[in-house]
Amino acid sequence: MRYYKTTRGNGRYIGRTASFTVYSDSLDSPITVGERVTEAAPGELVFNYGPSTGGMVESARIAITTPGEIIRSIRVDPTYKMRKLKITGLALDDAFLQIERINGYHSSSYQAAFLKAAEDALLPDPNQSLDEMLVLQMELERIRSHMNVMERLCEPAGFGVPYHQAAQLREEVSRLISSIFGHRYFFGVHSASHSTVNFNTGILKQSGDIERRFSALFESLQDSKIFVNRLQNTGKIDKHWLVGPAARAAGYRYDARIDSPSLDYRKYGLTPYIEEGRDAFARFLVRGNEIYSSFAIVNSIITDGSPECAKISDMHGSGTGASRVESPQGDLFCYLSLKNDKVEKIEFCSPSTSNIIAFEQSMPGNVFTDFHFNWESFGIWISEAGVSIE
Amino acid sequence: MNLLYISLVLAAGSIPVGIKWRKTSYGMIIAGSLFIAIFTIIGQGEFTYPLAYFSLIAAIAWILISIFSISYSEHYGKWLTPLFAMTVFGMMVILESTDYVTFIVGWEIMSIPAYASIGLNKEHWNAAYVFMVFSEISTVFLIVGAILAVGETGTLDFRFQDLTSDIPLLLIALGCMTKMGITPFMISEWLPIAHGNAPANDSALFSATMTLMGVFGIVRIMLLSPPSIYLGFFLLSVGVLTVFFASLFAYVSENMKMLGGFSTIENNGSILAAIGLYIALDGSVLKTFMLVVIVIFALAHSVAKTGLFIGIGTTRKENFGEIDSRKNSYLTGGWLLVTLSLAGLFPTIGGLGAWMLLEAFFMGAYQYGLIGIASVIAGAMIALAEGLASASMMKVLSFTQVHGFPRGKMENSESYLLYGTGILLVALFVLANLLVLPQYISGLPSVLVFNGFTIQSRFSTGDFGLISPLYVLLLIMVFTTAAYILFDRRKTVPREVPRWNGGVDFNQYYTSYAYASNIRIMLKGMLRTSIGEGGRQMSVVDVFWFAMQAFASGYRKFARQFAYKVMNSSITWYMIYMILAFMLVLILAFFT
Repeated sequence: MRYYKTTRGNGRYIGRTASFTVYSDSLDSPITVGERVTEAAPGELVFNYGPSTGGMVESARIAITTPGEIIRSIRVDPTYKMRKLKITGLALDDAFLQIERINGYHSSSYQAAFLKAAEDALLPDPNQSLDEMLVLQMELERIRSHMNVMERLCEPAGFGVPYHQAAQLREEVSRLISSIFGHRYFFGVHSASHSTVNFNTGILKQSGDIERRFSALFESLQDSKIFVNRLQNTGKIDKHWLVGPAARAAGYRYDARIDSPSLDYRKYGLTPYIEEGRDAFARFLVRGNEIYSSFAIVNSIITDGSPECAKISDMHGSGTGASRVESPQGDLFCYLSLKNDKVEKIEFCSPSTSNIIAFEQSMPGNVFTDFHFNWESFGIWISEAGVSIE
Repeated sequence: MNLLYISLVLAAGSIPVGIKWRKTSYGMIIAGSLFIAIFTIIGQGEFTYPLAYFSLIAAIAWILISIFSISYSEHYGKWLTPLFAMTVFGMMVILESTDYVTFIVGWEIMSIPAYASIGLNKEHWNAAYVFMVFSEISTVFLIVGAILAVGETGTLDFRFQDLTSDIPLLLIALGCMTKMGITPFMISEWLPIAHGNAPANDSALFSATMTLMGVFGIVRIMLLSPPSIYLGFFLLSVGVLTVFFASLFAYVSENMKMLGGFSTIENNGSILAAIGLYIALDGSVLKTFMLVVIVIFALAHSVAKTGLFIGIGTTRKENFGEIDSRKNSYLTGGWLLVTLSLAGLFPTIGGLGAWMLLEAFFMGAYQYGLIGIASVIAGAMIALAEGLASASMMKVLSFTQVHGFPRGKMENSESYLLYGTGILLVALFVLANLLVLPQYISGLPSVLVFNGFTIQSRFSTGDFGLISPLYVLLLIMVFTTAAYILFDRRKTVPREVPRWNGGVDFNQYYTSYAYASNIRIMLKGMLRTSIGEGGRQMSVVDVFWFAMQAFASGYRKFARQFAYKVMNSSITWYMIYMILAFMLVLILAFFT
């Protein structure tokens, strides 16, 4: 492992895997966290929201302890519809097919984390062209993911027009991705034979047009007092263990793109966008502004870059590697141990796990109607939190 | 001899009888009340409109509460019945009084046993002390008001006589308002606390009739006093604020009897607002109409409040969260009609009362000037409070009859009585025309509403609004029957499926606390909603309860210390007190 040391607790806290406590610079032995139990006080009830319910795109059981209207405590169980993926024992290219499907919407992030961990385990030096490819993928994925969060925030506010405008922009980004990579969720980019990136003529104009229309939408949403009122002071949280946009919305300069060596972002001159509001509105602003910086990186790679796909078939041997990349929702950590070309052990620490805890802790004191705004503002994906990888 | 004195004799006799023969005692109270009711109806009452009707209203409530008490008081020991009887006797004395002394004596006879019955039936005496403190405050106001009223005559004639100033009315109104639980800003939240801690039959007696005595007291002196725009506006403002706050606190109250207590304050606030408008007006058609409003509203409040506490008594519980939902059709029907009336909805007398009250303030708006502005504001506030009252009553109905598991033995006689009370509220709605002054009764023969069936509100010679209670009831019955015939599917076998809860084996019921939390959150600035011990939300209602308890126990400590230091069993000191008191009387006599 080039990037990670097993020293005790160096760097900021990222999360936990089955075997490790993950910090930004080190891995530590796992810590045990006791089950949090909330007793309903007299007059309170535990309202069971989900597993399948309106307004949620995925299945999660959510138990809300409430004296009515206001939420005193909330528990999210992402394991209600647990998926099990059997990856150990698979060859690297077979494992890759499973990895890119853990969370299809953020397939690139998982691909990047896995490929960089494999590279860390097996190759002496990182491949700069692969990094460029992965950065391009991830930034396009970030644009789409943040637009998706924006769309989801518009829906509970009853903002039909902006909701559909955001949905259209998201779809156009997906089509842009599809035209470049051959698949809108980046499937097979690194595993299909002879896969290449395809920068069609006019692609910059296309991305510029999306960015321009996004900018108009983003500005108009910020001008809408009704929309802003729904987000401001909703789901306030300020914890040192926050990741991704949630951390940056609380004033923390946490971003794996600048503090993780797994992917080289230095040449893009990225400066994380920081907000101090700590609430859903601050998270919205962080995401919106990150779309601009992502477009800048994408345009730079399209103009000057020479991205290359990974050559998984060239990766052989045994070794242990780890990587941490900045998925749209925060730090995504991957630990990979390979033995004779086969996966011996693999563990992920997903940002949604951390964001679920952040959501749970930010919700008390808010009312039911704040629920969806707060939930969506964290960009939680149950598919990456409710999955067991063996 | 006034035949109504028979009722006094029967009530007085029921006090000693009640110690040994509980049912006989209640029977005597019922008989005495029947005497009052019958003689009022056939015009044997000494007083003119609207005073005689207060006796009728009280008598109806006493009869219902006494019938309920026969089964309810079975497990409350031997003292509940004689204390109940003594309270009723005190109220009869008030209603029959023709002078200030008798009135105040009746007031005390009414209050002292009520204090004892709250204390005897509670583990802690705090509620009783709270009750006593406010009772005595009210008595002090009454005595001072009476002294000033008699002082105006320049004689020692204590009989009720016409007054030249509004000061006696102000003081007596303050005394009566304290008893009615009225004062803005929840200073006198004592009423829900005290009523909420009494046995249910006593709660009914206090809420339905004891506060009625307060209304009676104000109206009694109001009719003797000159118009006063300042006093009228004062009472109107206090009444309106009380209506709003009481309805708000009723909505968020978790103790059923306290909810009933707040509902009582809200109703009394409405009556006080009407009284305020009456006092502010100077001789008009609307002024007379206000008297009708007071009578109808007082009638609606007393009978429906009796029903509410009978209903609460049937649960044998105090908090919504404890209800095990005793159900049967009569009980549910009774609950529905009683809560409809208290929510100010048709076809009940409460609906008529609410309509008349709002109508009065609409008409007040046409008086223009200050009265017009005050009427618009008051009407809007009362309408808002009526909405909250409807929500409170929906809470009562839902959490006593809809939610929870049905279990527990139901006393059939009590459910019949509640149903009877509900039917009585509908009957009074239809018969209300008989209680309304003839100048407000008419008809619309052209549309088959015959003369005598329509109540017309008016502030001048022309009509303003109208309602025909019988026709309203008939219309509701026709549509209800049609809906029943068309949509009743109870003959087919009902299809029942297990409750689906998102696929998880986990069920909880919606709580009454949650029901009212929307207002707790929306008006948290007003209700001071905060997180208390154990993470539970607390509102100002709870805070006041603790404050009142602390006040009552503090007062008790003070009184004890006062007794130890001042009433110190020393003959010498007692002599000094007597000399000082004698000197004080001489000084007062000199200046008056």
